[in-house]
Amino acid sequence: MKRNTYLNFFIITLVWMMLFSLNSCKDKSAGYQVDLTKLPDREVFAELTDAPYVPPSRPEKGNAFVRVDLEIIEKTERLADGVDYTFWTFGGQVPGKFIRIRQGDLVEFHLHNHPDNLLPHNIDLHAVTGPGGGAEASLIAPGKSAQFTFRALNQGLYVYHCATAPVGMHIANGMYGLILVEPLEGLPPVDHEFYIMQSEFYTTGSFGEKGHQDFDMQKAMDERPDYVVMNGAVGAASGNNRMKVKVGETVRLFIGNGGPNLVSSFHVIGEIFNKVYVEGGTLINKDVQTTLVPAGGAAIAEFKCEVPGTLHLVDHSIFRAFNKGALAQIEVQGEEQFAVFTGKQKEEVYLPEGSAIQSISSGKRQIEQLDIPEKTLEERITAGQILYKQNCMACHMENGSGITGTFPPLVNSDFLQARSDHGIGVVLDGLQGEIMVNGVKYNNIMPAVSLNDDQAASVITYVLNNFDNGGGLVTAAKVKEWRNEQK
Amino acid sequence: MNRNKNRIGIIWLIIGLVLGTSYKLIAQDASMVKIPDGYWRPFFKGTDTLISVSTFYLDKKQVTNEEYEQFVAHHPEWSSEKVKPVFADENYLIHWKNRSESDQRVLSKQPVVNVSWFAARAYCRSLGKRLPTTAEWEYAASAPPIGRSINDSILQEIIANWYSRRIEAGKPVGSIYENSYGLWDMYGQVWEWVLDFDAMKSSDDSRGQDVIPQGLFCGSASMDVVDASDYTGFIRFAFRSSLKGNYTVRNLGFRCAASSAPHP
Repeated sequence: MKRNTYLNFFIITLVWMMLFSLNSCKDKSAGYQVDLTKLPDREVFAELTDAPYVPPSRPEKGNAFVRVDLEIIEKTERLADGVDYTFWTFGGQVPGKFIRIRQGDLVEFHLHNHPDNLLPHNIDLHAVTGPGGGAEASLIAPGKSAQFTFRALNQGLYVYHCATAPVGMHIANGMYGLILVEPLEGLPPVDHEFYIMQSEFYTTGSFGEKGHQDFDMQKAMDERPDYVVMNGAVGAASGNNRMKVKVGETVRLFIGNGGPNLVSSFHVIGEIFNKVYVEGGTLINKDVQTTLVPAGGAAIAEFKCEVPGTLHLVDHSIFRAFNKGALAQIEVQGEEQFAVFTGKQKEEVYLPEGSAIQSISSGKRQIEQLDIPEKTLEERITAGQILYKQNCMACHMENGSGITGTFPPLVNSDFLQARSDHGIGVVLDGLQGEIMVNGVKYNNIMPAVSLNDDQAASVITYVLNNFDNGGGLVTAAKVKEWRNEQK
Repeated sequence: MNRNKNRIGIIWLIIGLVLGTSYKLIAQDASMVKIPDGYWRPFFKGTDTLISVSTFYLDKKQVTNEEYEQFVAHHPEWSSEKVKPVFADENYLIHWKNRSESDQRVLSKQPVVNVSWFAARAYCRSLGKRLPTTAEWEYAASAPPIGRSINDSILQEIIANWYSRRIEAGKPVGSIYENSYGLWDMYGQVWEWVLDFDAMKSSDDSRGQDVIPQGLFCGSASMDVVDASDYTGFIRFAFRSSLKGNYTVRNLGFRCAASSAPHP
């Protein structure tokens, strides 16, 4: 009897296991399978694009034999205003060229290492089924080309990157991009497709330090980046480089994360993703606020732009966005849609107890006063422009217009011009409470900005001269004098 | 005094000719330094033993365009017109093409580049020398600049600085730094050929051949090395493994070694 029980148990277990294994087989075969016996007969050259643009989907149906030519170029470019960096690129820009193919395509990949380059490189495409994603087949010395061919077995949005030792350094210097393997029938049409790739840079100098910056291996190992950027540089996809769409249009973002270390909490301020292809695969999630993009991973997000305004694309690990550069912008142009969003309807004073001026710098950090000779008016304006972008632009806007009712304007500001200190006190100490600027009431808090005397003098001189405030030169000595008076 | 030196020089020249070597050998004697024997800790962990390096001699500086031109003049089979494709690819000595006289003057003291491994080996052989092995090269290059400690990070800085910036127009040999052995510009000038540049790929070398090839790719790269922070070491090994014997590269030159004291 006992023996029978055991037998029964055994049989039941066996049946369950069989059911399970059948199930898993079924799961595997659910997707489209590429028929390896059928070779595409049509040959095409892949069209490659630089971010934020995405090549169009091939108009013809079916698979093709696709030739991709990608050139590796080491070059020195702008990382931020006044900051240069020697990037290693796939195609001349960071991130690398966007590649668009279709599931089932046969891809002949040609990787060229420019003869002026110093280093060997290769490519690991996460879309490739094969050793190293093509890395072993494509390691090439400067001045050489490598060729390999692969079949695109899985659809999805994939990262590619250089995988030559030391891999971290090659990625940290800009060697990554995206390859989209579309489903055979193509993705549903949208009005706009954009390519956004986040990544970090580890520089010997801290954020904003001018001049050519070298790669800092120690910071990379400690995972302490100075720059976290969208599309390879601070401001590469914002301000004048922002993307533009119209109210009512649909947008699809191809989002990649080159890393090398950080995971991105990708978010668009002012939008909700109607649809997210989770991790760039076939699983679709709906109504998402923030989607995680792993280092060496991707995601596809879709939304409809219902109201006009500027959308901020950020890593919602938010200090990266506002202090390290991880910000891109889409301007939505068109008529207000009050049925969706009203804009500000009312504003009144609300001052609970205990609010106090905050400082942008931590209290512990002493402002380092460097012994810098006084600058000329022109030098102050040049230096001040960069400092303005780093410290002031986020609220007062690039053109100094501010935001009416929230952030006071700096353009022809009666408030500023009336101050005997030319605004030195505002920069060094911050400001809070009600003020009137050009006839509009403001009641907000501006934190103290931790600039040294030389920097403060430059940024104020810039504001006086560039925003129609009557000009004038503020010297570092004057700032110092003011600072000492307060002690 | 001068005349005496000249006389000795002439005697050496005669001895040299008698020995069947060219006068150039003697001219280059002073250009080598003796590297005392010692141990080299290989870059990859797969080899847990230290590799001993016997005493050898190494050129102080890289071979220059001028020196290489003399070699080609004596060995026309190594001119770019005559060289066989299996020994050198189509970019062999391409920087000599269509150069003006002033270019030639500037180039003459710069390290010769765009030379294949076969060509570099032939050059060294023509002088009774050979290419250094990887172990010899790495061992000799690990010496700090004169006056600096082995423990400070100056070498890493020189290397990193070279990697992270675009190379400026070529510099003459012997213009960056001299190390404590008296060798110039082991780093920071050009890459250099070594005798066994493809040792990592060959199966007859027992030094961790199953570790290294995949160790050079993707994340596994950091698993197998002695010192993961020595990222510049990775780059040299990756560079060597990207080469083939007939490859020529714009930033790749060489210097020669010898096992015994150079003649006389």
